[in-house]
Amino acid sequence: MKVRIVSAALALALGISAGSVSLPVMANGEITAQVNNLNEHISTYEEEVRWLINKYSGVVNQYQQGDKDVRTQALVDHWEEVNFHEAIETQYVPVYALIWQGIYGVKNAIDKDAGTDVVMAEQQKLHASLWQALGAVKLAAHYQQKGLLDKVRTTEKEPTTAPEVIDDIDKRLNKVVAKYAEQLTEVAMSLVHDTYLQRFEGIEGALIEQDAELVEDLEKDFNVTLPQALKNKGSVDDVRAVIKDMQRKLARAKSLLEEAEKNRKDVF
Amino acid sequence: MQRRAFLQSLAGVGLLAALPLSIHRSMAQTVQAMSVEQLPPLKGDLTLYLGRGEGGLYENVLNAITKRNPGLNLQIRRGASAALANTLVAEAQAGVKRADLFWAVDTGSIGMVTDAGLAKPLPKDLIGQLTPGFQYPQWVPVTGRVRTLPFNTQKLQANQIPDDIMALADSDLSIGWAPAYASFQSFVTAMRILEGEKATTNWLRGVSRHAKSYAGELGVVMGVERGEVDVGLANHYYTLRLKAGKPNADVDLAFTKNDAGCLVNASGIISLSDTDLTTNFMRYLLSHEVQSYLASEAYEIPLVDGVAAPSALPALADLSPPEIDLRKLADMRPTLKLMREVGVL
Repeated sequence: MKVRIVSAALALALGISAGSVSLPVMANGEITAQVNNLNEHISTYEEEVRWLINKYSGVVNQYQQGDKDVRTQALVDHWEEVNFHEAIETQYVPVYALIWQGIYGVKNAIDKDAGTDVVMAEQQKLHASLWQALGAVKLAAHYQQKGLLDKVRTTEKEPTTAPEVIDDIDKRLNKVVAKYAEQLTEVAMSLVHDTYLQRFEGIEGALIEQDAELVEDLEKDFNVTLPQALKNKGSVDDVRAVIKDMQRKLARAKSLLEEAEKNRKDVF
Repeated sequence: MQRRAFLQSLAGVGLLAALPLSIHRSMAQTVQAMSVEQLPPLKGDLTLYLGRGEGGLYENVLNAITKRNPGLNLQIRRGASAALANTLVAEAQAGVKRADLFWAVDTGSIGMVTDAGLAKPLPKDLIGQLTPGFQYPQWVPVTGRVRTLPFNTQKLQANQIPDDIMALADSDLSIGWAPAYASFQSFVTAMRILEGEKATTNWLRGVSRHAKSYAGELGVVMGVERGEVDVGLANHYYTLRLKAGKPNADVDLAFTKNDAGCLVNASGIISLSDTDLTTNFMRYLLSHEVQSYLASEAYEIPLVDGVAAPSALPALADLSPPEIDLRKLADMRPTLKLMREVGVL
């Protein structure tokens, strides 16, 4: 119990996924045992990040030198090749989303023949997100070694209480940003739809007894605001802003439901 | 207090007085709900497949049962009811049996499992605890929910709403519905069984001309309350819960008579193992305490004698649901086909 609380507090401070992480479907197929043994692979991850930055710099340099045949799809292909990919996807989805955002930032700038200053600015953001991701994975490895992070599961674990459901919704919304940043808009849309029907719908009855307006807001977010933000093909930052706003409301919902549960009568 | 106010508001618009006493179910065949104090302790290993339900309230019931019975080793597998029903059937086909009990939130999933011949027959005294009309030899309805017509009280009075669901298609009312929602699809299935495919097709076409779609039925009720539509199609508890959180909400409930519009559907449990332990576990779910808890906390309708319905809802005996074998609602495929043909899905 104590360990669990410490784990949650650390995770909160570091932004690393605490609790049972369930990722049945990954961008690059099934997850491997590596993600539950991060420490042994840290040096590999470091090498991979340096290799990626080298490769990405190569693509940008090629563009700067006026090579019109620069193959920008390589930016995506290189990222999908590395094992570091699944390490960050399982530990810290918000930075995972930033990496995809950065990759497509560079790719789109080159594809649209933007100025080199624009391309280099996007490259800087991408490199920063890769280093940030490496830092997050190192911290996760550290706390994993101390037994403070739960195992990443290959099968989905059903949340059993309303606060657990809200935590799960929160994680799913982070994945929506990641999938959108990965330019998998349909996957992101399905994730929103499933999260509403399979998760939010189960708690909104209890929540509406506590704060009807909050439910109205979240209903609109799930069914109008967020789907429209995805459908309108706005920037990843726009989608992230909608989701941040939803997550703030969900945090309030969680505290209301926790309080309501304390006051609920006993069955027997 | 809030619920009493809602009841008074229902009475105020003449709804309670207008409700027909068309259910003349004989209560002589039922026995009063038992207290858990009268039930034997549960000892041994049980595996329950639990359909995703009421935001943790079923979990509270299960936790209370295991706390009261320290000799019970209850393993729970959770998931969507339909997915678990498919799993049970697949496991049986593979010659594997992992579950002793299956508690589903909808009767469609129950029907899938009973149709596969996996449910064990239940003792008559257990069946006899249930309200007549809800007594089945192979499954136990745990609690019910009734289809309702929530209406905006700023726009309408109860007597302006048809008490025949089929008449809604020809009315001038704007209607909120959630065609993708499982409860709505069960309701259309009931209509298809009761009225036939042609009448149901015409009804869907008629209503769709003045309907607004919502993702879920709480959304329908909230749309009604905001005045986006005059009337909605939804299970009863959404309105009750909205009224609990917002007592002055501009919404009340109306009911149709003897048709799919006031279908009483149920969650239910099946025994997959022929043991006293599974039967006695089901007795706990039908106990006075559990039924009262689900009525007061989840606003569900108790299906045993001697336990009051949620206070803002007319008693089950005062409603007039259609006579239908709820397991038939599992036959969803023709319904979905029909809804797609009409273009509402």
